[in-house]
Amino acid sequence: MKKVRLGSGSAFWGDMLEPAVELVEKGDIKYIGFDHLAELTLAIFQRIKAKDPTKGYIPDIIPWMKAILPGAWRNGCKVITNAGGANPEMGAEEVLKIARDLGMKGMKIGVVVGDDVSARLSELIDKGVKFSNLDSKEEDLSRIKDRIVAANAYIGSDSIIDALKEGAQVVVTGRVSDNALFVAPVMYEFGWDFSNKYIEEIASAITMGHMIECAECCTGGMSNIWQAVPEPWRIGFPVAEFYENGETIITKVADTGGLVNEWTIKEHLVYEVLDPNNYIMPDGIADFTSVKLKEVGQNRVKISRAKGKARPKDLKLCIGYRDGFIGEAQIFFPWPDALEKAKRAAKIVEERLKIVKLRAEEVRYDFLGVNTILGETVPVKDLDYNEVGLRVAAKTQSQEEADKVRREITHLWTISSVGAHMGVPMQPRPVVSLWPTLIPREEVPTRVIMKEV
Amino acid sequence: MEKKVFLSEISFARSGDKGDVCSIGLIAKTSKAYETLIREVNPENVKKHFGGMVKGDVELYPMPNIAALQVILRNALGGGATRSTRYDQTGKAMGQALLRMKVEVEEEVLAEAQEATKKIFEKYGRAWD
Repeated sequence: MKKVRLGSGSAFWGDMLEPAVELVEKGDIKYIGFDHLAELTLAIFQRIKAKDPTKGYIPDIIPWMKAILPGAWRNGCKVITNAGGANPEMGAEEVLKIARDLGMKGMKIGVVVGDDVSARLSELIDKGVKFSNLDSKEEDLSRIKDRIVAANAYIGSDSIIDALKEGAQVVVTGRVSDNALFVAPVMYEFGWDFSNKYIEEIASAITMGHMIECAECCTGGMSNIWQAVPEPWRIGFPVAEFYENGETIITKVADTGGLVNEWTIKEHLVYEVLDPNNYIMPDGIADFTSVKLKEVGQNRVKISRAKGKARPKDLKLCIGYRDGFIGEAQIFFPWPDALEKAKRAAKIVEERLKIVKLRAEEVRYDFLGVNTILGETVPVKDLDYNEVGLRVAAKTQSQEEADKVRREITHLWTISSVGAHMGVPMQPRPVVSLWPTLIPREEVPTRVIMKEV
Repeated sequence: MEKKVFLSEISFARSGDKGDVCSIGLIAKTSKAYETLIREVNPENVKKHFGGMVKGDVELYPMPNIAALQVILRNALGGGATRSTRYDQTGKAMGQALLRMKVEVEEEVLAEAQEATKKIFEKYGRAWD
């Protein structure tokens, strides 16, 4: 049966490069997908692009392509990356330069554009498009309208498929759904379209894409059975062997660290999923409750064909807007009575923030080493701790207000208890909040621009 | 005989974020442990366990195919990763936090889950000792 082998080269902007190089060199893969975009990333790069229209792509695209392209070109592995960020065209120009320097004459690069709808928001609102907030249920966007810094739709596979049809060796995109980086090549290889005929095939591809799009997170990263995971420092990134009947085998490059088994695959099947009966992607809706998993060899797990539904008529749209600042600082207290010292310090900060008249929407106190990440689910016991930290974080509208938190934590050094110690205090950071919403698919036309070395 | 134990005795968990929504997948260690999960975990006790951390609704979605239970916590991440004052901005520790909830588990189900955990490490080894 016809199959295609795909690899996943990056879970986030800042991920490791070596396992991705290993994939194109030794993975025997025909496609590699790179996800460099988180929800916030586009807001950062829109601001960079606003200052310099030649920038706005993820700068990692340069070192990554320099390292990946030689092996990919030699082994016939096509590269699909969303590192175009807020400026896929200029990102592609960088790839073009690298390919030229490496002498890859005739190599084609496809650029997918159309996900950025920021310039058209007013027009769309006038047309009657409601951008209700999916999280907060707020209906009216006007409250934040003047503060919007990015509005990108999570587009699907259509234009990536077109780029592959045009013979692209590299496809550079902006905000496509991470999932489409893997669905598109499969649809292209098997000649599937979005007619009702291929709903289950596409649902199966979506399931495969979900499984590998976070790279190492399905090969033993972030695992409950982490003690069983060998050599995570040289973890193998995943390879999906996708079959024309919709079955997938998830594996990884031979002789690498990490682990692929029933448990690591289950862990990822449930990861960051809302309703598993309806895993909604721009290319279709997959039913994760319909698949069976089976270990079929060492570091090999088979996923059966999935059920699903046709692609939704709306796309997810992420709008980022400027929303004030966060001031955050921490300080540590030593034994004896470490927790009591930290509690006393919290009281001191609380009183000091009243004196300096902090205006904040929210102030939060955590005891580091006690309840910082488990919060209210754990009791704060008066144990004989070696050391306890106090962390204070406040959400404010201005930088000056946020900076009061840093200042007051530094005062603990001298007015709290004996032995208190802090590292270098953090500077206030600007906040870009997200307004997740939907946009009708027809309002987000996408297209491909081809370039050739 | 039933015992009140941490959910971690019978289940694994992996959690993460989608905006201000936290998604936790509880993965039962055995098929009987899955039945216990379904019986013992409900929106009310999950909401109570997290207290003020979860502002919105709790939804549950069983996944019998892999003996897992998806737990969705709405308005649970301080407004979402980019504006949250939480240290755990993306809710990665929320799954572990849920594993600290105490549930009633039959002794034989508990024993079987403990045996299953032991077998996992017998099968895949312990790279870290």
